Amino acid sequence: MFGVIWLGGIIRRRTGRVLGEIAGVGVAVLLLAALGAFFTASRASMTTQAIGSVPVDWQVQLAPDASLAKTVAVIDATPGVRSTRAVSFADTGGFSATVGGTVRTTGPGKVVAIPQDYAATFPGQVRYLVGAHDGVLLAQQTAANLGATVGTRVTVDRPGQPKTTLVVDGIVDLPTADSFFQQVGTAGTTATAPPDNVMIVSTTTWAHLFPPQASGGTERQIHVGLSHDLPGDPGAAFASVVGAANHLEATLAGAGTVGDNLAARLDAARGDAVYAQMLFLFLGLPGVIIAALLAGVIASSGGERRRREQALLRVRGAAPGRITRIAAAEAMLVGVLGTLVGLAGAAIVGRLAFGTSGFGATGPQASAWVVVSIIFGLGLALATIALPAWRDARSMTVRGAQSPAFGRVALSGPRPVWSRLYLDVICLGAGGLIYWQAVRSGYAVVLAPEGIPTISVSYFTLLAPLLFWIGAALLTWRIASAALRHGRRVLATATRPLAHRLSDVVAAAMSRQRRSLARGAVLMGLTASFALSVAIFNTTYAAQAKVDARLTNGADVSVTTTATAGLPAGIATTVQRLPGVVAAEPMQHRFAYVGNDLQDLYGIDPATIGRATSMSDAFFAGGDASATLAALASAPNGVLVSEETVHDFQLQVGDTVNLRLQSATDHAYRSIPFTYVGVAREFPTAPHDSFLVANADYVAARTGTPAAQVLLVKTDGSPVTVAESIRSGLAPGSGAVVHDIVTERKVTLSALTAIDLAGLTKLELSFALLLAAAASGLVLALGLAERRRTFAIAWALGARPSQLGAFVWSEAAFVALTGTLLGGLAGWGIAQVIVKILTGVFDPPPEHLSIPWAYLAGLLLATTIAILAAGGGMLRATRRPSMTIMRDL
Amino acid sequence: MPEDILVRADSIARTFGSGSGAVTAVREASFTLDAGDGVALVGPSGSGKSTLVHLIANLDRPTAGTLEWPALGAPSRLRPGPIAVAFQGLSLLPPLTVLENVALAATLVGADRDLAQASAHDLLDACMLDGLGDKLPEELSGGQAQRAAIARAFCGKPRLLLADEPTGQQDRATADHVMDAMLALAAIGDVTLVIATHDERIAERLPWRWVMRDGRLQTEVPPCSA
Repeated sequence: MFGVIWLGGIIRRRTGRVLGEIAGVGVAVLLLAALGAFFTASRASMTTQAIGSVPVDWQVQLAPDASLAKTVAVIDATPGVRSTRAVSFADTGGFSATVGGTVRTTGPGKVVAIPQDYAATFPGQVRYLVGAHDGVLLAQQTAANLGATVGTRVTVDRPGQPKTTLVVDGIVDLPTADSFFQQVGTAGTTATAPPDNVMIVSTTTWAHLFPPQASGGTERQIHVGLSHDLPGDPGAAFASVVGAANHLEATLAGAGTVGDNLAARLDAARGDAVYAQMLFLFLGLPGVIIAALLAGVIASSGGERRRREQALLRVRGAAPGRITRIAAAEAMLVGVLGTLVGLAGAAIVGRLAFGTSGFGATGPQASAWVVVSIIFGLGLALATIALPAWRDARSMTVRGAQSPAFGRVALSGPRPVWSRLYLDVICLGAGGLIYWQAVRSGYAVVLAPEGIPTISVSYFTLLAPLLFWIGAALLTWRIASAALRHGRRVLATATRPLAHRLSDVVAAAMSRQRRSLARGAVLMGLTASFALSVAIFNTTYAAQAKVDARLTNGADVSVTTTATAGLPAGIATTVQRLPGVVAAEPMQHRFAYVGNDLQDLYGIDPATIGRATSMSDAFFAGGDASATLAALASAPNGVLVSEETVHDFQLQVGDTVNLRLQSATDHAYRSIPFTYVGVAREFPTAPHDSFLVANADYVAARTGTPAAQVLLVKTDGSPVTVAESIRSGLAPGSGAVVHDIVTERKVTLSALTAIDLAGLTKLELSFALLLAAAASGLVLALGLAERRRTFAIAWALGARPSQLGAFVWSEAAFVALTGTLLGGLAGWGIAQVIVKILTGVFDPPPEHLSIPWAYLAGLLLATTIAILAAGGGMLRATRRPSMTIMRDL
Repeated sequence: MPEDILVRADSIARTFGSGSGAVTAVREASFTLDAGDGVALVGPSGSGKSTLVHLIANLDRPTAGTLEWPALGAPSRLRPGPIAVAFQGLSLLPPLTVLENVALAATLVGADRDLAQASAHDLLDACMLDGLGDKLPEELSGGQAQRAAIARAFCGKPRLLLADEPTGQQDRATADHVMDAMLALAAIGDVTLVIATHDERIAERLPWRWVMRDGRLQTEVPPCSA
């Protein structure tokens, strides 16, 4: 009963304190729960993205003796199956055609039979380029190899049967050929290189070409589309899809084997979820810790008054247990209300930033996040309110409580335990060792064997930035304390412009308040380092993701063709005139034999290529793009080769490299001498392994054609719009394909860089700004408020506003400058460490950190305004202190 | 003579709050305080002594009436300088040593560091605090802190010193010593004293006794008739 009365009194008489504590707990819970919302959103977006880019969910390989009709019936009856279509494959010894009096022959290939509505059923599998949408369709590459077009007669070499000739009705592209031609077997699904030559025919034609009695070398598959009503979490979605596939295989009882494309994509997305978790660790937890510390600072600001109230209770006979229970009741009230405020705020923030107000991709996950948030909120309130009260109650005696000085924070005291143990140095040293070990051992968070990114997270390595952060905070405390303890002369000199004759007194006061000032500097430092490292990492990530996307796509917009004749003549000039286009640069894409190895060769103009796309220093060995391109430009027959080629052929700069390129006149491969001038590691549109870069003029002169197969376009507007303009200007059947960086980034890039950090960035940067302003303003305001009585005494003694200002502004300047400077240094260092550890995420790795100057200027402005507001508010209050304080003197 | 009148009050009042909850601490007080007067302000607890001290020191403003300081200058220039106050509670600045606290009063009125410290040393000796100059306020007893506050009040060389229960936390012998020191320092520095006190023995040592009852001031009562 007494507790209820006391609690009522606290709410009525200490409303400001209780509201402040609720706000402190609320912000900490909000940040934690909002990160839960980010998890939900990022996982759900991974699932959506993974599902969206799979044209055929299952490819069920039929056993040779299985009945097609029965198997289709079984699959159709499977829950979740949306559509089924039968597809047949046959091997062919090759195709040949006579064009312009010349007979052209291809190597082995495949003939595929699909129903007429296949492309409509599985959008994205077949893209019609030229001619009819049914009948005999040639893949674009095959048509280019044969020089065939609509109406060309193509002869098909059928193993075990006589050759037959068909008339081409259309040319198509197979964008997902890798999965379309995958080997589905008992050992699971194996991604293999798709055949170079493909012909698609109708089921009727197929029946004539490969009658059942001569079905050797043929395979049958049933392509299945599933309902994509799956759980948001990629792991749960994966389990659901795999379960369904296993069930189907069991039901088919050997009649078919499921090639599970959907599960394969979800499996990759499941791995990416680990990456999101890592980002949470790096970017989210420090913010939660700072918010919790701020909540602690707010609660401790009322500590002195609370101690006095407890002393009063103790004098009146309340036992320590009862005093603790009363404080615990206040803590629970603050914890419950703060958690509710935080959860509601997180739902709103999640809706605004991530488009979801849920806290988990699944029901149990959401419940877990809510429970964690509640435990965190209540725990924080108990730790910041009840724990200090319990500690005080244990050490408080009735006699001590009656002392007039009881409740005041002692200025002097022993050095903290961590300081005596040099925990700051230990943390920094341990962080440095872990970092050194990670860099030395070549730890990469993302491994890319054979170009398939896989995540290899070492949580031990992630300790490095965490230890740096803690170590830097403690070191800030040590440095600030030492400067205040031993640097009184310097402080007096530094504060003289403000304090004039009082500078010695101001310096002395600051020196003796070093605990409070160092605490403020540490909080500011923590916030500054958090804000800076988050901002730098996010900016570098965004910049590098763009470089990565541009590297893969070639430029903001790229136009490509596989046709030997190259892109339509004059396309560069036409595109250059389009609105939103900054530069359009043609580039040859040929193939050249280096010994027996066929490599991609890019013919460029080294002087102008950089106008249309980024030429990063990281693309070239030696790390100097300008110098490497200048070397290429100065040697007309120069060539840049891969490191692997340099190693294989023991090349020295200046060596002659003979490459065999196809001549435009007779299509024969002829040896052409090039001079090795440098090493290219990456190049726009180039594969990751081996490729060559040469001067376009030389390639044109020696092959007999200047035809460019790629047009790189730089835009200053929307790449999507520019791509659409280019697309609409291309003649039907040109064979050119237009890709823009925005669309391609969503579809083809690694899911790692495709994780949308925009929402998290918004949340993190907003919170960093809020926390920085709150830490600087609040810490200073609360620190000054703790000394309201001191300022009131100084005012009563006759200190002028300018003299009171000397105390206030000197302290503010010390806290702000020390915190910002040391925190800024720590933040920059931590950003370096984070980017270095996560280097593998970026392809190519960043050359330097990207500094978000505008954001940092905003951060500085917000912090300055908060400090000025806090100091100004306190000065206004000290001009005529409240009568409550004066009557107490 | 106006230059002899330190403070002149005409029907001043101080009311806290408003409406039915309003409390009037000082009611229609009128008095004149001349240079050289020594006043003991006596009265029961809650009678308004501290409020009147705050009003005279211009720490608070009357809600009615007129209060002037003819010989001390403009109200905005009373502290630091002509008026100093020694409070009854803990009023030393926690982050400064005792010596720095005392010297601060001289520094605020423009004395240079060395002069302020020398003056502070002398005053600490006079208030029986020699050897405690380097201590922090939290290390002093209540009585020591109160004596340090008195030393600080004198260090600014005021013309009028207001002390609110300056011996409230001293034992009898120490209280006598403190009073001796205050009277001696006041005589040397030509300081007019106004001391709010419960202690009859202290009150008896001052030439004038003002009595406060329920906020009403009865002034210029000779000591023998109080």
